[in-house]
Amino acid sequence: MAAPMELSCWDGGWGLPSLHPESLTVMAYAKFSGAPVTVNSVNNSWRTLKGDLPVLVSEDVVISQPAKILNFLRKQKYNADYDLSAKQGADTLAYIALLEEKLLPALLHTFWIEAENYCSVTKPWFASRFVFPLSLYLPGKMSREALNRILLTKGGPPLYSLTEVEAQIYRDAKECLNLLSKRLGTSQFFFGDMPTTLDAFVFGFLAPIYKVCFPRVHLQEHLKQLPNLCRFCDDILTRYFRLTVSSHSPAGQDTADANLQKLTQLVNKESNLIEKMDDSLRKSPQHPPRKLTTLKLAAGGEESSPMSRLSP
Amino acid sequence: MCNLPVRVICRANAEYMSPSGKVPFIHVGNQVVSELGPIVQFVKAKGHSLSDGLDEVQKAEMKAYMELVNNMLLTAELYLQWCDDVTVEEITHPRYGSPYPWPLNRILSYQKQWEVRRKMKAIGWAGKTLEQVLEDVDQCCHALSQRLGTQPYFFNKHPTELDALVFGHLFTILTTQLITDELSEKVKNYSNLTAFCRRIEQQYFEGHDKDSSAIAARSSKRPLLR
Repeated sequence: MAAPMELSCWDGGWGLPSLHPESLTVMAYAKFSGAPVTVNSVNNSWRTLKGDLPVLVSEDVVISQPAKILNFLRKQKYNADYDLSAKQGADTLAYIALLEEKLLPALLHTFWIEAENYCSVTKPWFASRFVFPLSLYLPGKMSREALNRILLTKGGPPLYSLTEVEAQIYRDAKECLNLLSKRLGTSQFFFGDMPTTLDAFVFGFLAPIYKVCFPRVHLQEHLKQLPNLCRFCDDILTRYFRLTVSSHSPAGQDTADANLQKLTQLVNKESNLIEKMDDSLRKSPQHPPRKLTTLKLAAGGEESSPMSRLSP
Repeated sequence: MCNLPVRVICRANAEYMSPSGKVPFIHVGNQVVSELGPIVQFVKAKGHSLSDGLDEVQKAEMKAYMELVNNMLLTAELYLQWCDDVTVEEITHPRYGSPYPWPLNRILSYQKQWEVRRKMKAIGWAGKTLEQVLEDVDQCCHALSQRLGTQPYFFNKHPTELDALVFGHLFTILTTQLITDELSEKVKNYSNLTAFCRRIEQQYFEGHDKDSSAIAARSSKRPLLR
């Protein structure tokens, strides 16, 4: 039992310990059951090559899916479901299946398939967590896998076009949120006063929808109309993750600053590349010497003009 | 369970007649509705519903359990039929291709197998072994058994859509002959579930002995699997 356990999972942002629903679920369960797990946020390493995070490593055992990780923790006597009756345990399985069937497609869609969200938030965030050159390839691969999954499970006839499938999955997701809200009612957690596996799963799925600031947010707006679910997420964040529940404006400001920083870095990189191309052109004997403007390292639209001048 | 007059007809091209490509479907007047969810909605719109007496929390539970059955039992049945090589060769290919002449029977069944394996890969079941799948089925049956307890139906005295769905799956598992009996053994471990199936069969299917539909429905299962 004293074997050190290390959990590798995706990094966090926007007030959350992680952006990935499955990583969040496992982290929440570890907190609820009091398991001594050290969390390693995977950032910029080759371990993300397989991409099947979260991964728990304990001595020589490596376990990779959330359900298996939770089982392992329960066998190590870190059991958050100890006080549940058999019927409540059955209810847990049923509600988890409901989440996976009804809410997960819409979550995947919001993160990976909705074009604006993917290009402005998801892809840059995940790309910055991968090592170059994986950052060019892996986010696209994850997006294709998400689309595949949605189309294969939900996209059968008579729903032939992606827009119809999208409409259906968002309808299902909103219905699922309503059902969860009715089930939670006014109690603190789903089964009384102590959080259990079901609370971990619901938190893992709801928190990213609730907190991450996307341009297209109709699912988030629907969630915000269900105050008991919002309160549920905030409670868990403050009690178990000791993160202050920030209001959206500072988080938005941070995101804007981070985006500006990234933009500046990108522009600087491009400018460096352009300078190198400049130098090599100047040194090559075939081209007559010509006047080349010096480049300024300023953020903004300066990059476009030098590029157009250098193109043949 | 709703006491609606229905005639069951078996056709080889049923999947193609259906608007969504899936069976079962019902043909009422000039409307065709397929799959359990839409059929339930259609019947409800006409004024017959089994779950009217449930409160909101119970309806949420019912939907959750229906998803559990769809998620676990249905996927496990598909896995066993299409991803377990022995079963595929000896039972599924002959059964699926039986209405068609060679080579169409082989082509269609390979096509269906490829489709099902793609779906399994997308949801992460492709990497599972047969033992893991059987364990999942066991967990699901355990949950259903716990929920049923000693009651006659899942929501006490009256049957609901959940009872119909669970009966459909469990009856199929119990009466379908496969290479091994492991799947049906998992269900037989839970005596209240087998009693539940028997009770519904006696009450709703054997009660209409003179009605040819029940006999046609039950006898059509056995010969297809030899």
